[in-house]
Amino acid sequence: MEEAKNIIVEFIESKSKSKSKFYFNDFLPLFPDMKPREVKKILSALVKEEVMEYWSSGSTTMYGLKGAGKQAAAEHEE
Amino acid sequence: MAKHATPMLDQLESGPWPSFVSDIKQEAANRAANPKGLDYQIPVDCPDDLLGVLELSYNDGETHWKHGGIVGVFGYGGGVIGRYCDQPEQFPGVAHFHTVRLNQPAGKYYTTDFLRQLCDIWDLRGSGLTNMHGATGDIVLLGTTTPQLEEIFWEVTHDLNNDLGGSGSNLRTPAACLGESRCQYACYDTQACSYNLTMEYQDELHRPAFPYKFKFKFDGCPNGCVAAMARSDFSVVGTWKDSIKIDQEAVAAYVAGEFKPNAGAHSGKDWGAFDIEAEVINRCPSAAMKWEGGKLAIDRSECVRCMHCINTMPRALRIGDERGASILCGAKAPILDGAQMSSLVVPFVEAKDDFDEIKEVVENIWDWWMEEGKNRERLGETMRRLSLQKLLEVVGQEPTARNVQEPRHNPYIFFKEEEVPGGWDRDINEYRKRHQR
Amino acid sequence: MAFISSGYNPAKPMEGRITDIGPREFTEFLPPVIKANKGKWAYHEILEPGVLVHVGESGDKVFTVRVGAARLMSVTHIREICEIADKHCDGYLRFTTRNNVEFMTDSEDKLAALKEDLASRKFDGGSNKFPVGGTGAGISNIVHTQGWIHCHTPATDASGPVKAVMDTVFSDFQDHRLPAPVRIALACCLNMCGAVHCSDIGIVGIHRKPPMIDHEWTDQLCEIPLAVASCPTAAVRPTKVELDGKKVNTIAIKNERCMYCGNCYTMCPALPISDGEGDGVVIMVGGKVSNRISEPKFSKVVVAYIPNETPRWPTLTKDIKKIVDLYAEHANKYERIGDWIERIGWEKFFELTGFEFSHHLIDDFRDHAYYTWRQTTQFKF
Repeated sequence: MEEAKNIIVEFIESKSKSKSKFYFNDFLPLFPDMKPREVKKILSALVKEEVMEYWSSGSTTMYGLKGAGKQAAAEHEE
Repeated sequence: MAKHATPMLDQLESGPWPSFVSDIKQEAANRAANPKGLDYQIPVDCPDDLLGVLELSYNDGETHWKHGGIVGVFGYGGGVIGRYCDQPEQFPGVAHFHTVRLNQPAGKYYTTDFLRQLCDIWDLRGSGLTNMHGATGDIVLLGTTTPQLEEIFWEVTHDLNNDLGGSGSNLRTPAACLGESRCQYACYDTQACSYNLTMEYQDELHRPAFPYKFKFKFDGCPNGCVAAMARSDFSVVGTWKDSIKIDQEAVAAYVAGEFKPNAGAHSGKDWGAFDIEAEVINRCPSAAMKWEGGKLAIDRSECVRCMHCINTMPRALRIGDERGASILCGAKAPILDGAQMSSLVVPFVEAKDDFDEIKEVVENIWDWWMEEGKNRERLGETMRRLSLQKLLEVVGQEPTARNVQEPRHNPYIFFKEEEVPGGWDRDINEYRKRHQR
Repeated sequence: MAFISSGYNPAKPMEGRITDIGPREFTEFLPPVIKANKGKWAYHEILEPGVLVHVGESGDKVFTVRVGAARLMSVTHIREICEIADKHCDGYLRFTTRNNVEFMTDSEDKLAALKEDLASRKFDGGSNKFPVGGTGAGISNIVHTQGWIHCHTPATDASGPVKAVMDTVFSDFQDHRLPAPVRIALACCLNMCGAVHCSDIGIVGIHRKPPMIDHEWTDQLCEIPLAVASCPTAAVRPTKVELDGKKVNTIAIKNERCMYCGNCYTMCPALPISDGEGDGVVIMVGGKVSNRISEPKFSKVVVAYIPNETPRWPTLTKDIKKIVDLYAEHANKYERIGDWIERIGWEKFFELTGFEFSHHLIDDFRDHAYYTWRQTTQFKF
């Protein structure tokens, strides 16, 4: 589990130059042997640990590192 | 005295239909008077400012709201929609004005105790304005600030014993018609099914991991009062397999004009005496009915269960006893490739007890769609891209002629290799023994 | 204002936290007569518009009074609903899928007092608080979306046009003169979170101008790849422009590919789409959800554009009234609007209504379009 969490965080950080938010599907190729529902468990755990947060357009949801990205600034929430 | 002059909106106070403007004004006045002496946790005058910003939209024909994607309650990916006003200095009461969705009870029955408790929470911690209900079915609490979200969630879960609804790429809050609770047409217990699946799939409802939204709707019969076939990715519609039950005496009573046809639904116009031939027999879409010698006969094997005869003579005709539901999949609104209606996948499931048969279909579909669905692709679009037969295979449903309106229009059949004797690997040298180059 | 804690401790969000409990179990909320007869109802009858009786196999009866409501509802109004339900209905009530409220009682004696009470209540502005109706072959309440009251991509308001339309067709909310039910729905943009695409009459807000691009702010407010990915028609692409002698990263939009959905604005606040001149509504007709007699159908566009004529949308309401009245006059009993138009032909529908048939009404969007063109010599002169 810890190893899987690191893979996700490293993946996001490696892309941080261009974007901060990812669809659930973007993480599936990182774990070719896992069922989508198992991958979801890792992401849910990262949210619970406050490493990651959701971003919702209302109709779809994306994942990103907590506080990262320009949206967080635009929403001027402390 | 109103905080903002609203000459445009004031014109929506007249006329017979209930005026939302009058209601918002009533709430503004009530908050200003504060009869309960509440220490309002968000600006007291937010209803005034909401009218003010709406008046501005009525003048310039443009919305003044911005979307916010981050706000929510801890650990949940749905249930809260962030909203910010783009004129916060002019309308500070609604500068931050987020929506909270609560999961409504199946069939939308309430006790006044529950509603009053809900009102108390929302009076103190929100705008005092709601939608009863949102388009998907949730109780929508319209307008609060970020610091109140966790407080509201706490009180809703601890005091109201209720949870949030869905939004984003979640399972959306399921919805059911009132079903067996007050309808003789219900072929299964839609409320129980909705509640059971809602509880089973709480993780899917609160923590998004689908390519896009996913909706369950449960209609008790083919009349479709919650519009399952038009509005849900997974539509469960009640049906039955055996014969419509006929009470011949009651049929005679309709013919004699003793009972009002269609339960009195046409009472506003004189349509003449009830004519069973013209209004029922000849309107049967599959010509499955006969009226001979004062007896009504229905050919069960020809009946397509459209409900017309039952709706027209509800005291004489009843749904059959071998009841269950059909499962149809893939409905969605037009974005992107056009609107889709749900397509028949499983013609009949029993739909009772723990609804295990239905859950098995759901889970097979999710496993497939989560893997194969592209980002922002509804199930209906994945089905179009990868075919109905693929979905049938995924849920273990043998294809039948019932699954289609008509067979394919072209001979471009994608045979599987194992379906063709000898497979696809052929020996060119053997071929050349029979044919010159 | 002093902050009042619910008990939640922000330093320890998981402490005492309750999650994943779902909605309340629905049987808690069923009135006793409903609970006792659940699954054992024999038949029902509409006694008059808005008033139903359901009769159980046991002989028990439940009388229901259905009233219209604006779905935007204050807690003051909900408390008044509760007061009525306590007075006449032992503290139970329900809402319908179409935003109506239903008051139920188990005896006919209580019915008269309930109806009288409901009819007597008016808002200060003069409108009815609880108009009885919405049953049978009439017009029920409109299902709709948020509009300008709370959404960031609407092309029209929702509550306002709904109020204006319901005022116009109010007599049909309280009558049964139509050949079959007429279901009206409104979605304030083409994303249709109200899914109005299978309604007898659908009102849909549309934008007609592609988003503006706030070049100076694009790279500061948005992550450009996310805005690019949000576009369903691939009309959005990254680009650079020169601004005050500086090259800035921004977005370019291929206007002719834009379908005005507003998805990019959701992802990127530097791409506003609303436009007072461009925005307005279309009218769609002939959809249905029920499987009764004919199969479910999609609604079709019959009026390509009506401007947002605030505050009461007179052109929209006039056109809808015209459709309803022509339908009432010409359709056969049990025919929904879509069934009626299919029988007489769309050319007759446009002749009867006088609506202009312009090129906008011929489908040209992807695969579906071809199947809507006429491929027969059968048509009416």
